[in-house]
Amino acid sequence: MKRLSLLFTTLTALSCLTWADDWQDVLNDADGQTVYFHAWGGSQPINEYLSWVADQVEQEYGIQLEHVKVAETGAVVSQVLSEKTAGRDDNGSVDLVWINGENFAAMKANDLLFGPFTHNLPNYAWVDTENKPTTRFDFTTPVDHLEAPWGMAQLVFMYDSARLENAPTSMTQLLDFAHSNPGRFTYPAPPAFHGTTFLKQALLELTETPDALYQPVEQADFEAVTEPLWTFLDEMHPLMWRRGQTFTNGAPEMQRLLADGEIVISLSFNPNDASNAIANGELPDSIRTYVHDAGSIGNTHFVAIPYNSSHTAAAQVVADFLMSPQAQARKANTDVWGDPTVLSMDKLNAEQRALFDALPTGVATLPPDELGSVLREPHTSWVGALEQAWLERYAR
Amino acid sequence: MNSAPRFRLSWVPTLILAVFLIPVSLGLAGTWLPAFGWFPALDQTHFSLQPWRELLDYPGFIRATQLTLITGLGSAVLAVVATLILLMAFYPSSLFRRLERWLAPVLSVPHAAFAIGLGFLITPSGWLMRLFASLTGVPVYPPNWLTFQDPWGISLILVLTLKETPFLVFMALASLPSLKVSQTLWLGRSLGYGRTKIWLTLLWPQLYPRLRLPFFAVAAYNLSVVDLALIAGPTTPPTLAVLVNRLFNDPDLLLRLPGAAGATALLLLTVAVLFSLRLSEPLVRYWQQRAVLNGRRWRQALGLHPLASSVLGLGVVAYGGALVVLVLWSLAGPWRFPDALPQFDWSHWQNAPRQFGSALWLTFSTGLCAALIALILVIAALENEVRLNYQRRDFNAQRLLWLLYLPLLVPQIAFLFGFQVSLIWLNLDRHWWVLVWSHLVFVLPYTFLTLSGPYRAFDDRYSWLAQSLSGSRWQAWWRIKLGMLWRPIGYSLATGFAVSVAQYLPTLFIGGGRFATLTTEAVSLASGSDRRAAAVSALAQQGLPLLGFALAALVVSWRYRRHRDLQQGGS
Repeated sequence: MKRLSLLFTTLTALSCLTWADDWQDVLNDADGQTVYFHAWGGSQPINEYLSWVADQVEQEYGIQLEHVKVAETGAVVSQVLSEKTAGRDDNGSVDLVWINGENFAAMKANDLLFGPFTHNLPNYAWVDTENKPTTRFDFTTPVDHLEAPWGMAQLVFMYDSARLENAPTSMTQLLDFAHSNPGRFTYPAPPAFHGTTFLKQALLELTETPDALYQPVEQADFEAVTEPLWTFLDEMHPLMWRRGQTFTNGAPEMQRLLADGEIVISLSFNPNDASNAIANGELPDSIRTYVHDAGSIGNTHFVAIPYNSSHTAAAQVVADFLMSPQAQARKANTDVWGDPTVLSMDKLNAEQRALFDALPTGVATLPPDELGSVLREPHTSWVGALEQAWLERYAR
Repeated sequence: MNSAPRFRLSWVPTLILAVFLIPVSLGLAGTWLPAFGWFPALDQTHFSLQPWRELLDYPGFIRATQLTLITGLGSAVLAVVATLILLMAFYPSSLFRRLERWLAPVLSVPHAAFAIGLGFLITPSGWLMRLFASLTGVPVYPPNWLTFQDPWGISLILVLTLKETPFLVFMALASLPSLKVSQTLWLGRSLGYGRTKIWLTLLWPQLYPRLRLPFFAVAAYNLSVVDLALIAGPTTPPTLAVLVNRLFNDPDLLLRLPGAAGATALLLLTVAVLFSLRLSEPLVRYWQQRAVLNGRRWRQALGLHPLASSVLGLGVVAYGGALVVLVLWSLAGPWRFPDALPQFDWSHWQNAPRQFGSALWLTFSTGLCAALIALILVIAALENEVRLNYQRRDFNAQRLLWLLYLPLLVPQIAFLFGFQVSLIWLNLDRHWWVLVWSHLVFVLPYTFLTLSGPYRAFDDRYSWLAQSLSGSRWQAWWRIKLGMLWRPIGYSLATGFAVSVAQYLPTLFIGGGRFATLTTEAVSLASGSDRRAAAVSALAQQGLPLLGFALAALVVSWRYRRHRDLQQGGS
């Protein structure tokens, strides 16, 4: 046994040596390459952050980073799928894609991803894989080093403190709010990502058997588990914005409604969204963030490399740079973007930690102890089933 | 010299055919295969009807189809009716001549920008409500009224009607000069008939055959539109085109098979609608013939003028208002309900040059190339037609026209997916010239539409005279015919440019996302929460075609500065 562990240590040490060499090879290959990074382009702060990243990787690694601004990640998956259909297994159009959850699961299941590669990236060592399990399991799908963690997300609600004194602390209280303020809350229509997340959050809070949600949906009594959710929604919809006759298409549209004063409570997947939007003048400064007492769904978003990427070396270097303390700290700044870091403060040295300690606290950002516990995403199979059931009931 | 151009011109229709038919047929085939279960990249290699069963079972499919029919057909018919009302009430008049000058820029407004602007005008927290609330002090908060994106599709019908009526009026104006409207009205009036009756029984039957193709194009477009329906349409369920688009982008990749079936269903629906429109024409004609014979004169046009004025007023308020709110938002700092005006902030425009610089150049160069190629092809085809007419060869202009219109009649979503796969397979994607080609497919029909009327109406006696004086057919054509047609040529060039600028799906599908134009930038920013950034990009997208029209007008008036008769109206 002892010999075995010695052998293991030696092997690890050896692999570290070759690893450093390998990484140097990757860096050499990356120099002069162009990376087409397909990422959602709907947010000016995010676009500006990515153009800062482009400047950095050009200076440090000689990489040309092109941000391809997409309206929907599904379109990027379609692009890769079309290329696979046409038999283009290298020289693809997409080098790096911002992705998570269902899209990742679909690309993984259909062998559309390059890798595993993240364990080879030097900055991956700082990632808080122990305390942030969603960096290893994306919507319960094992990540298997096929995508590099980029940022943390947690479902939070935003409310206008000028119009509402006490924010709800549970779905039941949210319903009470709707009773006393008809028309001032809504959620995006599933299968839009944020809408489905709201459904999952409501189900986790309302169902009597939350454990069933972490098993494949086929193993559960769907009707019984989801019954409280539909009762809740049936009561909620007539009290919602436009009496539930029409829905928004996502959190960005809800944020516009919040800014216009049409609704009083909105939701976001970024706990710093409100602070960032107040900083750039989109939202009034009376907006505050809150979470429900039961905790809220959290996950991680990633970057992945398609299987037929033209420049895998440079794509890996960019993915690595995105995880660097420098890039992560800038991203977490609420004046820049405010996207929470995936890194572990305990793993960083004092100098790196100082980058994060120096960050301003956003006016509408909850302190870590008030952000509550993170609920894991239900098993991926629940997403389709919930969306289907919702559409059957409310969108026929 | 004399025989050379004829030889070359004769293969222009074939060339145009190739430009069109190849992408459309490649694309349709590439969509039909997955619709019947063939998708090797997803291990689907058995032909079956399963995708169709899944489509029929998809929640909301039936209702989405109904909504598509109601909104698509309803708005197309309304647009024709509005066009007819405007013509009956105001044509010909000085008001119409003034309207004519505004039509081209109105047509160049991108659909999505117009819908966003209109939405912000009429929603309960929109500008109209803000104006009212800031004057009266009530309401303090926006009311919970359903004025936009209603589940019945009313707001979508409104937006589509407003967007398509100017196009139909524009097309009608191209044909009306050859109909002798004034003389017919004069004759009819001398027999004691009212305007309404003369238009409905004498003029409209002549005009409609020339408006049929544009009308069908409008109907097809309205049935299959995605971006407008996303902004102004119902949501639970949405229209069929939006539903199909959603299936194509769903994380569950297997949903692309019912998606392909849905795209095919949309095509079938469009074909069915166009056929029934064509088949219902005899009914209308029968009614018209009865009306001719019934002897009633309808001397009083009761309510026609107020009705037409309100149609016109609605259009002016909608277009003017939509533009004003976009400008206001692009200059806005914080802008809270119920303030009538925002706190002004220029910073969004300051970032614009850095942000849109490269997109601006690509949009400009692609648009200009596509518009120029289209113009050359269209002039060649029209000239070929003129010469064939003189040779009395059998030439069916109508058939060419139908082919030209094909890309406008086939829903984009039904062939672009297949076209993309074919291009990748042929290794032709990501080339700039393929982008130009794909834009050309849509630019060419519009160029043809705008130029064919004036070009065909050209009085050839000028050419004969010039030829007899110069002895050169080429000189006569170049210096006299084209010289006199500068105005329509300038406008159709600007129209082609505007059509290219507005292309979204082709740009996205052909470039693999690598071609960032003003329109792709605008669409991606419109998916975000910041109205100000979205307004800046929408205005940039709108400004470029406007600049094209302004330039065309300027160049034309400079060219004709010494020709007083050509300064207004053209030929």
